[in-house]
Amino acid sequence: MKRQDQQITGQLHSIETMGLVDGPGIRTIFFLQGCPLRCLYCHNPDTQDLNGGRIVTPSEILQLANRYKPYQGEDGGVTFSGGEPLLQGKFLAESVKLLKENEFNVCIDTSGYGQKEYYSNIFPYVDTILLDVKAFSERAYLDMCLVKQKPLIDFMNQLEDYGFHGQIWIRHVMVPGYTDNKKSMQKLIQTIEPIQHLVERLEILPYHTMGKEKYKELNKPYLLENVNPMDKEKAKEFEIYANVLLAEQMSKDRIELIEKQEVETSTLETNVSLEEHNKIIRNFSNLPLLRHINPEILNDIQHQFIVKKLEKEEILFQSGDDPNYMYIIYSGAIKIFNVLPNMKEQIFYIYRKDSFVGGHNLLSDSKYWYTGEALLDSVVITIPAKIFNIYFANKKAVLKEILSQSFARIRWAEDLINRLATLNSSVKTAGLILRLAENFGIKKNGQIQIPMKFDRAEMSNFSGLTRDSLTRKLGEFEELGYIHIENEILTILNFDALESYLN
Amino acid sequence: MSNDFMAERNKAWQGFELGNWSETIDTRDFIQKNYKPYTGTDSFLEEPTENTKYLWNKVSELIQDEVRNKTVTVDLTRFSGIDNFDAGYIDKDKEVIVGLQTDEPMKRMMNPYGGFRMVKGSLNAYNLEIDPKMEEHFTEFRKTHNDGVFDAYTDEMRRVRTVGLLTGLPDAYGRGRIIGDYRRVALYGIDYLIQERIKDKKNLTGNATEEVIRKREEFSEQIRALQAMKSMAAKYGFDIGRPAYNAQEAIQWLYFGYLAAIKENNGAAMSLGKNTTFLDIYIQRDLDNKTLTEKEAQELIDQFVIKLRLVRHLRTPEYDELFAGDPTWVTESIGGMGEDGRTLVTKTAFRFLHTLTNLDTSPEPNMTVLWSNDLPRGFKDYCAKMSIQTDSIQYENDDLLRPIYGDDCAIACCVSAMQVGKQMQFFGARANLGKALLYALNGGIDEIKKDKQGNLIQVLDGIEKNTEEILTYDQVVADFKKVMDKLSNIYVNTMNTIHYMHDKYAYEAGQMALHDPKVHIFMAFGIAGISIVADSLSAIKYAKVRPIRDENGITVDFEIEGNFPKFGNDDDRVDNIAKDVSQYFMDALRKTPAYRNAEHTLSLLTITSNVTYGKKTGATPDGRKKGEPFAPGANPMHGRDESGALASLNSVAKLKYQGCCQDGISNTFSIIPGSLGKNSEERINNLVNILDGYFKQDAFHINVNVLERALLIDAMKYPEKYPNLTIRVSGYAVRFNQLDREQQEDVLARTFHESL
Repeated sequence: MKRQDQQITGQLHSIETMGLVDGPGIRTIFFLQGCPLRCLYCHNPDTQDLNGGRIVTPSEILQLANRYKPYQGEDGGVTFSGGEPLLQGKFLAESVKLLKENEFNVCIDTSGYGQKEYYSNIFPYVDTILLDVKAFSERAYLDMCLVKQKPLIDFMNQLEDYGFHGQIWIRHVMVPGYTDNKKSMQKLIQTIEPIQHLVERLEILPYHTMGKEKYKELNKPYLLENVNPMDKEKAKEFEIYANVLLAEQMSKDRIELIEKQEVETSTLETNVSLEEHNKIIRNFSNLPLLRHINPEILNDIQHQFIVKKLEKEEILFQSGDDPNYMYIIYSGAIKIFNVLPNMKEQIFYIYRKDSFVGGHNLLSDSKYWYTGEALLDSVVITIPAKIFNIYFANKKAVLKEILSQSFARIRWAEDLINRLATLNSSVKTAGLILRLAENFGIKKNGQIQIPMKFDRAEMSNFSGLTRDSLTRKLGEFEELGYIHIENEILTILNFDALESYLN
Repeated sequence: MSNDFMAERNKAWQGFELGNWSETIDTRDFIQKNYKPYTGTDSFLEEPTENTKYLWNKVSELIQDEVRNKTVTVDLTRFSGIDNFDAGYIDKDKEVIVGLQTDEPMKRMMNPYGGFRMVKGSLNAYNLEIDPKMEEHFTEFRKTHNDGVFDAYTDEMRRVRTVGLLTGLPDAYGRGRIIGDYRRVALYGIDYLIQERIKDKKNLTGNATEEVIRKREEFSEQIRALQAMKSMAAKYGFDIGRPAYNAQEAIQWLYFGYLAAIKENNGAAMSLGKNTTFLDIYIQRDLDNKTLTEKEAQELIDQFVIKLRLVRHLRTPEYDELFAGDPTWVTESIGGMGEDGRTLVTKTAFRFLHTLTNLDTSPEPNMTVLWSNDLPRGFKDYCAKMSIQTDSIQYENDDLLRPIYGDDCAIACCVSAMQVGKQMQFFGARANLGKALLYALNGGIDEIKKDKQGNLIQVLDGIEKNTEEILTYDQVVADFKKVMDKLSNIYVNTMNTIHYMHDKYAYEAGQMALHDPKVHIFMAFGIAGISIVADSLSAIKYAKVRPIRDENGITVDFEIEGNFPKFGNDDDRVDNIAKDVSQYFMDALRKTPAYRNAEHTLSLLTITSNVTYGKKTGATPDGRKKGEPFAPGANPMHGRDESGALASLNSVAKLKYQGCCQDGISNTFSIIPGSLGKNSEERINNLVNILDGYFKQDAFHINVNVLERALLIDAMKYPEKYPNLTIRVSGYAVRFNQLDREQQEDVLARTFHESL
């Protein structure tokens, strides 16, 4: 038997105990040794070599991180940077798992190049990825970083398959004469298309020359010797431009998705006449769910089914209702939603033809905690609880059907939560500001001003973000020039930019 | 009690909930029963009125003139005293709070009671001359504190003072660090305070021991001082014999109490106490009665603060070298939590800090926020915002203070806590432990100073000279302990001598009249150079340290081979050395009884004198060269923290406050704005989290500066562009352009936390 006495260790270059700009909040940054890239502008060339640094174990990492936990607030935590932390996959996997078990928020600062075999053991534990996108073509990657671009593209495409369900901060170092132009910003947005729904922040970092000295110490040539530092103001302008592009791109994609759904539903609209009613009952028996019921029995109980026609916006059942029926959608569409504390609807599902709702509630005898309302004029067939319990609940095939549909719904809900949670604090914050503008906004000098009657904690409740994230976002919007906050008055400076996050 | 007295009380206390405070003097009880905690944001704050702006511009010009021209105005015709000057104004019609130390703004007083030489020296430095008759009479008929001290100093005490092993001792000027409960003047009126003190004196029965005689004399002095206060206020047209009727009077009365203190005394730190919660009760009552608007409330506070910014004392240039920038430590403690769990933050806490916006930034008053994890978030955010904008706030850990001093305590000077009106301290500056460590190597001989004949000075006896080629930890520590034992004994005895004489010749009758009759006294000792000692001992323990000695066998430099853990990296190996040394020194001090049964306490604080200490100290085993500055306070030596700012904060947080360094542990933290966060919201959030994290680990104090190094370099070149640029140094704030070149360079050289 092989003994597993070999301890997993990593090569640690250094620690920054007060990292305030590498991930959300206050972070302990572990710079790991080694990087496969050789970026011309690299300001930490001393971390490129995989050998060197000090040898540490994951439990030492945890021990060190624990020393700084008191400072981390709501969304601070630990960041692995480098070098390229994914190059020490085994060590990283063990470390992030241990940190997560100890309730640390984990962030990885990466270029997307590393030991793929460990990714599935790393990314489920990662809250935020700081993804460095160095250039926007195969050629440019070779020129700037001396590696191919494809691994990064693959990385982005497969990220969610590795179990990543966090958020991403995109970072790009802008070097004068290389990417300081609008075209490059457009390419940047195209490049990150596969992961754009996870992007929480996009930063353009102006190239600086403070790393130069280290090259002398290391006796390495510095290839950008004649390039000046990037003008910070200009970089900021490009950052704003890229952020607007990203917001537009994202809202465009969302609109497409919704339109696609509308098309499906509009073909199903019907008028219920007597003739149609008979047809409904007749067609009804072809419903997949009912095929499992003996036709003779079905025939006997059919008269107890209630055919209910709903006009658009009519309520079918409400949050808190007892489970008295199972509903089968014959035509139209029913939306299932909840009203959030901010009086905004949160839609969970939209059910269409042949879908059913309420089976689970009947089985578990649990009340509805959401409301069903006709999204379109619809026809619903209602099966009373008694009938359901006698003829449906004892059929294995029916239960299987309910379960499998429930399962699909859970998947859908997870996806929704995923989107809600990660897709966009930008969208949420923009939405919140626009909602506040609607309710409390005052037009003044052609601008909309919102007196901040809520404190940050209340606002974060409304938006579903943590207080710190909301604060961060507001700060970011202010920096991007969308809003201005002074003396507890929020002034909207760029209404269109905020709207571009929504549809 | 007379009818008038009751009528005045009824009027003054209308609407207040009565309690123990209305039966006897108990300011805290009044506050607890009547204040209204505020948990909101800064959104209610108002801009300054036109009158305030006018007054501040005028005062600001006067201050700038003084800084630019390096001159001072002095009243050469009389000596200091509570009631020795006529009323003075900035512009009478525009002032809602009045009162100056002399009859003109910025005119300084001659206070000879601490020491006449100090007055003479100061006047000489500015080419001013006292009326020869006054000098003649004063020196002939009046002995000073300074005279008394030198009559009683032993040779040993003089030696440790001469070589700079003990420095900054208050033996030539007022000791300060006493806070009168100035609120009592507003709440009760002077007449009641006099009446109570007469009772206290009557109650002092029994044999006329030295202690009882002294007490009786002091009470009599206090009663006279209270009468002088009343007379001084009358010159401004106010009868402070009765209690204050409204907010304006409450602030005015309180200020008269403080004004008396700074007319009578010239202590290094003449702190104000903890007043915002108290004053808020009056302001809130007037707001509720609609007799005051928010704008007017802010005007009262703004103008009160203008007065506090005008406090001046006559100092020698040497004094200014030690304490840069003419500080007066008008320390106001703001915020904190009450013992019952309610926050002591009120709207007036915001109004007070808001003066930094309404009147520009300024070193005085010394804004001191008592930080608790439980402070309302709105206040935390506001403090962080103001720190980022003004670099004018220091923070002290309210969660450490409250269990020891209760919730009505205030900070005197930088970090010295005391219950207001119930406790005081005998200020004792500090011992240079960096130098003391060298004495352990050099057999008690000073490594720099020679006597007039050019001979070595044997300062301490009975210490063996170290002759090791490579220093060994055990040997050095054993000798160092011997040095600390001897030094601490001399230190306590020196302090006893100083405070005995201060009580005798420069007694603070006005301030003590605003204390309880029985006062608990702390005797505050201090350490300078804790990080140098820790790093030096760490170098000796973990690396190879080879001393280089001159022909007399005195160390002049050290060769260090190998690495060693350095204080400021959250490394227990060295952090524990710092902890152990301060504990050892504290325990050693306790072995010698203190005058008036005072309780020994210890601080890790240098103020700006870290530069001066450095100059007077030879090379140390940590690699610091001869003459190089010390780190300020308990800060790690600059450039030695390699893991970022939080590691550095964690190291300092390990030093023990309760029971060890209970007179305060000072730490200064400077960071560039870009490193604190990407935008202002993030910066505020991050700073709040840093403060929370630091104080949660039982750290005691922090100064926060958020500024660009480039800005300071520019300010060195073009001081006129930055007349009000204020930065926090150890324990107080200072106008950057009032620091001398060396101190400015020291500030620049210190670790600025930045990340790329």
